[in-house]
Amino acid sequence: MRYFLSRVVQALVIISGITVSVFFMLRFTAGDPARIRGNIFSSNDVLESYRRQFGTDRTVLQQFITFLNGVIHGSLGDSFRYQQPVTGLVLPALRHTMLLGFTALVISLSLAILLGTLSARKPRGVVARVSGVIAIFGQSAPLFWVGLLLINIFALHLGWLPSGGFSSWKNLVLPSATLALSILPSEMRVLSASVKAELDEDYVRTAHAFGLARRKVYFVHVLRNACLPLLTVVGNDMGMLLGGAIVAEVVFNFPGIGSLALVGLNAHDYPLLQGVPIVAACTFVVVNLFVDLLYTVINPRVRLGGAS
Amino acid sequence: MMTMMRRNPLLFFSTFLMGIIFVGGIFGPFLLPDPLAIDLINAMKPPFSSHHLLGTDPLGRDILSRIASGARVSLVVSLLGMIGSLTLGTIMGLVSGSRNRWLAWASDRMIDVQMAFPYILLAIVIVSATTPSLPVLVLLMVLAGWASAGRVIRSIVLSERPKDYVKAAELVGADQKRVLTRYIGPTLIPAILTIAPLQASAMIVMEATLSFLGLGVQPPTPSWGGMLLEGKVYLSQAWWLTTIPGIAIAITCAALIGIGEGLSVKLRGDRRRRIDPSHVAVAPGEGDKS
Repeated sequence: MRYFLSRVVQALVIISGITVSVFFMLRFTAGDPARIRGNIFSSNDVLESYRRQFGTDRTVLQQFITFLNGVIHGSLGDSFRYQQPVTGLVLPALRHTMLLGFTALVISLSLAILLGTLSARKPRGVVARVSGVIAIFGQSAPLFWVGLLLINIFALHLGWLPSGGFSSWKNLVLPSATLALSILPSEMRVLSASVKAELDEDYVRTAHAFGLARRKVYFVHVLRNACLPLLTVVGNDMGMLLGGAIVAEVVFNFPGIGSLALVGLNAHDYPLLQGVPIVAACTFVVVNLFVDLLYTVINPRVRLGGAS
Repeated sequence: MMTMMRRNPLLFFSTFLMGIIFVGGIFGPFLLPDPLAIDLINAMKPPFSSHHLLGTDPLGRDILSRIASGARVSLVVSLLGMIGSLTLGTIMGLVSGSRNRWLAWASDRMIDVQMAFPYILLAIVIVSATTPSLPVLVLLMVLAGWASAGRVIRSIVLSERPKDYVKAAELVGADQKRVLTRYIGPTLIPAILTIAPLQASAMIVMEATLSFLGLGVQPPTPSWGGMLLEGKVYLSQAWWLTTIPGIAIAITCAALIGIGEGLSVKLRGDRRRRIDPSHVAVAPGEGDKS
């Protein structure tokens, strides 16, 4: 319980750190959103009225207090560009991004478990070699380039799948495959290493001696123990997954938080621009907390170590 | 040379490949045609056409020379980013491994915050606060890379702490700064050498990604990510515009990752031989060669 509380406090510190730094970074250095909102012929009066509407005529500290007050009441302010609450824009986009990330995670994990176990079983076999090549490719080819290649092959030449947008599950296939390839290498390497380590354990020999089928020994007994380090990797890679999802969204024109952040960037729309990272960081921290707690549930040894 | 090739072929060939890329990036722009010379008559030539080995882009600019000068930009920026992020990461890792409770806690949380924040979003926020330029790009890469290096350094410092030589140093009265820099510091060098190429390859991908999103190197300066961005529009007409820069990035990264893996094998071997004599006893032939 104390472990859980300290983790929650840590999460709160991280989120407020990000919130405060994003707010001040944007306010102190960015240009004038009123100029973007109006056109180049707008008179000073018009610009001034926009500034009053956006609240950018007041000092940064006053703006910060208003912002904090809003955060306490569950609002992140109104977007300058869309004239609607930021939360109403970010949350649907976040749902799309999370759907994309989750699909990619499921694909990559199942591939990692399958290929990792098989290549640990026969380190010099065909599967091991093929997955080695996949790992090197996934690690060195940039995600957006893989995305472009897949568009070129599957959307333009073969015409099997749409190249962008989001209207049906078909739109999810290419972006999540791209994203999955980028996180697959680290998962696969860790799983394969931990399976190899587990193979030396006594219980594996016992299982073999009892005459269990090899497939059962590997995929039931060994895998259950070997999955623990994989969970840590998944937790650590969450930031990469989210960042990758954002890039994939831009390549595939997928309506997630990455596309939204780029719109905010071009419109100097601070509320939107600061809302996206804040929501993203919250998601990340909550997911990480969840992974950690899951870890303690699955592996009681960690729970004991963390409490002392 | 030959023994190195036989004992660690991965390290040898990756270093060799990286050497070619370096030489190409440094001398290529002097020998090849101007990467900015527009020649509309010869626009959109596919690879292996006469005069243009890798073809031309929609403005008739030679792709091979653009790749070479893009390599120059990419390598310089990634190298600076790597040095900066490793320096910052090492300092923060040492601080968060120190005995000063408050400082350690603060830098630990800073590492967490940095890791929690996808660097693309960070880049969007920072670029919106300034204008994209090379110094900003290097800054972004330092910010994006230091935390992972810091985490590795921190874990090494924490694992070195309980060892006898650290205790001995503290007993004879060395203060924290001295313990960290003079005693624990040198043990970090193999780890830093191993992370450095991996970090550089991550930086190359990062530079390309940022330039692809329009946040990094700005046109007309050629960069690999920028070439992919320009080629994206012509995806269906001209496959080479997007394929060639991507291959350049992938080969460079693969070479850097290979160097990293090769170094880690080499350094782990060397360290084991030096620190733990039992391994020398197991393999007597190995010990006297180095």
